[in-house]
Amino acid sequence: MKERLTRKFLPPDIFKKSAGDTYYLLPFKFHRITSKKEVLINEVGDFLIVPVGTSALIIERKINREDHEELYADLIANFFISEQPIPALAEVLATRYRTKKSFLDYFTSLHIFVITLRCEHTCHYCQVSRVTADKSLYDMSKEHIDAGIQIMMQSPNPHLTMEFQGGEALLAFENIVYAVKRVQQEALIRDKTVTFVICTNLAPLTEDMLVYFKQNNILISTSLDGPESIHNKNRHKPFDNSYQLTIDGINKCRKELGEENISALLTTSTLSLQYPNEIVDEYVNQGFRNIFLRPISPYGFAKHNEKKNGYETAQFLDFYKKALNRILQHNLNGYFIREDYACIILKKMITPFPVGYVDLQSPAGLINSVIVFNYDGKIYASDESRMLAEMNDFTFQLGTLGYSTYKDVFYGTKSIEISEVFLNEALPGCADCAFQAYCGADPVFNYATQGDMWGHRPTSSFCQRNMEIIRYLIELMDSDKKIEKIFRNWITGKN
Amino acid sequence: MTFQISDHFLHLTIDGRLYNESIIYKCFYWYTREFTVNIDLKNETSYNISLQPISKRESSYNWGEVIERIKRDLIDFRLRDIITKETQTIKELIVAKAFAYYDTEDPLTSDVSDRVGFDPENV
Repeated sequence: MKERLTRKFLPPDIFKKSAGDTYYLLPFKFHRITSKKEVLINEVGDFLIVPVGTSALIIERKINREDHEELYADLIANFFISEQPIPALAEVLATRYRTKKSFLDYFTSLHIFVITLRCEHTCHYCQVSRVTADKSLYDMSKEHIDAGIQIMMQSPNPHLTMEFQGGEALLAFENIVYAVKRVQQEALIRDKTVTFVICTNLAPLTEDMLVYFKQNNILISTSLDGPESIHNKNRHKPFDNSYQLTIDGINKCRKELGEENISALLTTSTLSLQYPNEIVDEYVNQGFRNIFLRPISPYGFAKHNEKKNGYETAQFLDFYKKALNRILQHNLNGYFIREDYACIILKKMITPFPVGYVDLQSPAGLINSVIVFNYDGKIYASDESRMLAEMNDFTFQLGTLGYSTYKDVFYGTKSIEISEVFLNEALPGCADCAFQAYCGADPVFNYATQGDMWGHRPTSSFCQRNMEIIRYLIELMDSDKKIEKIFRNWITGKN
Repeated sequence: MTFQISDHFLHLTIDGRLYNESIIYKCFYWYTREFTVNIDLKNETSYNISLQPISKRESSYNWGEVIERIKRDLIDFRLRDIITKETQTIKELIVAKAFAYYDTEDPLTSDVSDRVGFDPENV
């Protein structure tokens, strides 16, 4: 007679292995975060903070269920070891790995249109803008806009983002209106949803523009570099007060478009590095709930100058930690404000999902996630690629609007060449790095700062910066449960 | 492992049976930030490695600290090598499963839909 099956759990002894039974390693990496602690990180980014030497004990099979009950359970549950050669939940692990890379599923989403190179500011860190009234020379033509939209609509991604940059994008407002209308028509035909973003300093903002933004659900991204003294020194507008114009513009956008439809970015200059607390406090005073402490850009100051870049990386890390601690203090005092760069990394650490930040992805975000159509019709692999072109380096130019096909651009010789170096899983130094799952590859950065797309990790400021920020975030979470809670709240968005 | 300091160089001899070529290169790759690193095969079982500070201020170098760091890093990279070798197959399996192209799966067929005997058609 067939044995009657039951829903009752089997006794615990069935599941226990004896102390002598061995276990099997699953792929993981480790890194010392302090003199006493190390972090174990598995293939899908799960991490465990353990005493230094634990990885050696695990590998030497000196961990067992009886003597290290909690650690053993954590290692099994988090896919660091398995009691079978192939873990029972191997499919789950594979699915999670697939999820981490799911940003590749639909290919390029962000399409940047440099609608004009004209600008009325003279920001000292800007390498690309021109102060001129000659529209024909520095505005994107309607023919190029049409060609760019054609390529954008060929992306397999059903959700596209069309981002207008400059120069000062609003100086070519008529062309933005033209482009948005064309895209809205095309999106209906091709069944795509398109998000529009305009990057602007808000100085040319008018009431009519605000009405238009609201009608067409356009998001605004602006720059706020800190308090007035810092902002105006960084972003000088001749004969005017750039800071005041920005603040006025932000308030108008908040009132008309809603708080969630206007965001501000900080560009960290050498001057900014001296005022971390003041910059954070300015964002709090202006009512922002997030601040993006973006790394200092290497484009424009000395390339291939390891000493200078290294010095500035150390300064930036000092600035970042001070600013982050100030942000955490505000959170502890009851004001919710998150740091976006930390959130990008924390989301990779704490959730199974990928993050759409193109500068910290593997495979790299250029081409896979973003493409740039310049005002002159040239097509670039990323925003930084076009900055290199402004310095007469066209290494990352992929084609020309109106001449190059979609296949030429995305599957051409240059794209394939770049694809050989845009996986951090296959780069020297990165291949064995514990933080690989949280980090990314940036061939353009490597090329601009070190002379080749592969890069040299020991002297790479990209590597030094990200390794130290990731290590610091882990150290903070381990040191104080309140900080871990704040970080988790940032990811869930709970205020 | 033997160490010798002379003329602002640190010379090491490492047994290649304990630390293979891959481990040695991966370990000393990270030292190329501060040092000019030279790796030579001494014989079939040993490597000669020399480190010379890139900065000319050699007197500021605490070679004792560097040696302790090298010993620790070699052990770490050896452990990583063990993990890589032991988990190569399972890692390939996971990645292969992750990116396998799944056609429409055939629905499972059986006499019952629930293994404890529940028959949804006979409620």
